[in-house]
Amino acid sequence: MIMKRKTIAYGLAASAIGIVVAWAALAAAIIPPFAAAMVFVIAFPVLVLFLGLWWRAPGGEGDIPFIGY
Amino acid sequence: MIEYLVFAAVFGLLLLGVHRKVIARIQTRPGPPVWQEILHALKFSFKSTWVPKTASGTLYVAVVLIGIGIWSAALFVVLAGESILILFAIYMLHKVVEHGYGLSSGSPYGKFGGVRSVISAASEIPLFVTIAAIHLFTGSLILRDITAYQGIHGPLLLIAPPVAIAMYIVVLSKMPYGPFSIVESKELVSGYKTEHFGVWRAGLAVTDGLKTFVLLYAFVAIFIGAVPFWAALVIMTAVLISLSFVCAITPMLSPFDSVTIQGLITGLMLVYVVCLWWVMP
Repeated sequence: MIMKRKTIAYGLAASAIGIVVAWAALAAAIIPPFAAAMVFVIAFPVLVLFLGLWWRAPGGEGDIPFIGY
Repeated sequence: MIEYLVFAAVFGLLLLGVHRKVIARIQTRPGPPVWQEILHALKFSFKSTWVPKTASGTLYVAVVLIGIGIWSAALFVVLAGESILILFAIYMLHKVVEHGYGLSSGSPYGKFGGVRSVISAASEIPLFVTIAAIHLFTGSLILRDITAYQGIHGPLLLIAPPVAIAMYIVVLSKMPYGPFSIVESKELVSGYKTEHFGVWRAGLAVTDGLKTFVLLYAFVAIFIGAVPFWAALVIMTAVLISLSFVCAITPMLSPFDSVTIQGLITGLMLVYVVCLWWVMP
């Protein structure tokens, strides 16, 4: 299962934009802290994974897991 | 708030690096540098990554996202001083996530790690008794109320040391290389983590960093009380070093012994709580 680089870039951009918007909205007191926290809880894991995947998006073929020496 | 998340993940990884260093020095080995776990997380972020053919793709990826998500939520719960019941519900969810890591990969080592995570759910039982005892003293499970109680009566660590010891053992059961770390035992390669490599392993590292920070911060807040943030970090480091000493001088228990000892601790705590309930007005 290999994700396309374009899909990963969209996911990365969406999570980054979500975090920045929530951070700005919280700073401007437009949204309460718990709403910002909910956005961060959802967007932060996506940002962490997609940043790495975007960096190494070409990846490789899936293989059979390590099953012993 | 996002800055807290990033700081907690990095500081948690640094604490895990200190943990490895202290264990190594006690065992007269040089050990890795203290920032090794941070380097690991960065290194894995830039490794080639794919999903093994035998894995359940959706679960394999989802558990990593959920792992980071639940400990991010736990951090906000602790920082906001909300209910410790939510915090411990998240702790229980982590057990399900560990199980998911192991079962999703299709590797026998991962599966054994996942099965052991179910066995090690025994470590959560002292947690329930801990919660009951905290409520008996403070009359609340809201972290703000617990710290306010300690502001008046002094640290719970001194008022109810057995409760602190039980919670300490719960935190110990989550530390790598500890006596209760049966889920990552070396005979299972890396336990439930065995088949999560590359970016997935980096996500696991971030989860571990957040988890370590949250558990130690919660321990300080619940048993020491409200202290300045820098002081909390110092106390967390001191608690971690004491945990490292325990891990360094204690062999890893077999799954059966691990569950038996945690069951005994729960029994002792139950007796303590019943006595408290009997004598307290």
